[in-house]
Amino acid sequence: MSQDSAAEKNVPVIELRHVDKHYGDLHVLRDVNLTVSRGEVLVVIGPSGSGKSTMCRTINRLETIDSGEILIEGEPLPQEGRDLARMRSELGMVFQQFNLFAHKTILENVTLGPREVLGQSKEEAEKYAMELLERVGVAEQAHKVPAQLSGGQQQRAAIARSLAMRPKAMMFDEPTSALDPEMINEVLDVMVELARGGMTMVVVTHEMSFARRVADRVVFMADGQIVEEGSPDEFFDHPKTQRAREFLDSIKGH
Amino acid sequence: MSARTQTAPSVRTALYEAPGPRTRRRIAIGTAVSAVLLALLVALVVRQFYVTGQLAPRYWSFLLEWPTWRFLLQGFVGTVEVALTAGAIALVLGLALMLGRTSGIAPLSAACRVVTDFFRGVPSLLLIYFFFLVVPQYGIQMPAFWMLTLPVALAASGVLAEVFRAGVNAVPKGQVEAAYSIGLSRWKTMGLIVLPQAIRYVIPSLIAQLVVVVKDTTVAYVVSYPDLMQNARVLITNYDALLSMYLVVAVIYVLINFAINKASVYVAHRTGVKIIR
Repeated sequence: MSQDSAAEKNVPVIELRHVDKHYGDLHVLRDVNLTVSRGEVLVVIGPSGSGKSTMCRTINRLETIDSGEILIEGEPLPQEGRDLARMRSELGMVFQQFNLFAHKTILENVTLGPREVLGQSKEEAEKYAMELLERVGVAEQAHKVPAQLSGGQQQRAAIARSLAMRPKAMMFDEPTSALDPEMINEVLDVMVELARGGMTMVVVTHEMSFARRVADRVVFMADGQIVEEGSPDEFFDHPKTQRAREFLDSIKGH
Repeated sequence: MSARTQTAPSVRTALYEAPGPRTRRRIAIGTAVSAVLLALLVALVVRQFYVTGQLAPRYWSFLLEWPTWRFLLQGFVGTVEVALTAGAIALVLGLALMLGRTSGIAPLSAACRVVTDFFRGVPSLLLIYFFFLVVPQYGIQMPAFWMLTLPVALAASGVLAEVFRAGVNAVPKGQVEAAYSIGLSRWKTMGLIVLPQAIRYVIPSLIAQLVVVVKDTTVAYVVSYPDLMQNARVLITNYDALLSMYLVVAVIYVLINFAINKASVYVAHRTGVKIIR
């Protein structure tokens, strides 16, 4: 490995500096500072309304910010136009509601980005798409439309759609919250495998067992602030703040 | 909340609960009474026609002759030509107006909004008078075909712009976010993701508007364009057969619009990938 890429390694893939955001009177993000290093799996947890989804969505500018800075590999996140589109294409995003393109087949969903954005040929895009669909276990559904798939299958296809762009990092915005309980694990399994493969990931989730098992670092948010962060063991076994202890108590016994 | 396939319940079962025995009896009585009333009404009308001599053969016999039908057929072709051309122009223009309005470029958006509201609010007859009486005064001569087609198209484009906009607004925000997140530009997102879905949502409204276009073409007599209605009027003067001719023409218009509806159902089936959420 050359000197350059070694140096690059030290630049965080994602960095948020003093990020603030308001919805009217509501202060949804308060001076949020965060870095995600290459290959790191960061899990964001917190009560609903804590701003964790909003933070996740600011990283590819699906939500704008009022002040502060967001850097992707040291470069400021572009505000608009072609540069923003290119940056987004390099960051994967998986949504709570899957958001597969409803009028396209699963295969078309996965090949659309590579063909329209990366300019790949149909054959090239489809070959890689089928590999990915195989990997997430929905290759047999390739020629169906999303409505014909179960929620778990749709979410796995959505992950394949993101992977097809060969992203530098992936954001997961509550990827299992809209799923029936029996389908949660099939999606988490795919995510675990991604994490093991070295993908840089930001995961907003309520799945504490996933956080414990996979996270390199856990960030706890409440009221738009990062209240606490640490290794999963530290955080779950010895939470430092009262707010985090209350939250962990409230979700215990489930 | 899982997003698995569900078959949509029919409107009937969604809006009304299944009738019980008493309701069923009431429905049966209501059906019988209205059938009797309807039969009485029809009998009354036919009797009145008979009394006033409208059923005399001389009012109807010309309908058995080929030249009559050839003339009507020519009118029919004229109507279809105007309706299709106006419909096509209105689709393109309506789409353009909607895209302009939702472009986010303030002056363009405002201009498209004014144009849309204008064409939507002004009666098509007034637009026809404008093209027939005002435009020629400025030295622009156009054939009767365009004096009819353009105003009809413009009037429809205003409505279609709004129909398209409703369709675009009905596409869930998540579809757009997903498109952005893989790096699609605004225009590609619109063209590849939003519009294809929006158009499927609004096919019924598009068809309804095409029916309106067909009906709007009946003011062709203003510019003496030989459409179905205009030719029917000529026949009426020739044979002094008001009632019979109007009845026949009314039936033809109903059939045209019935055909449009059937075609639309077919098209919707062909292109209609199920997008149930």
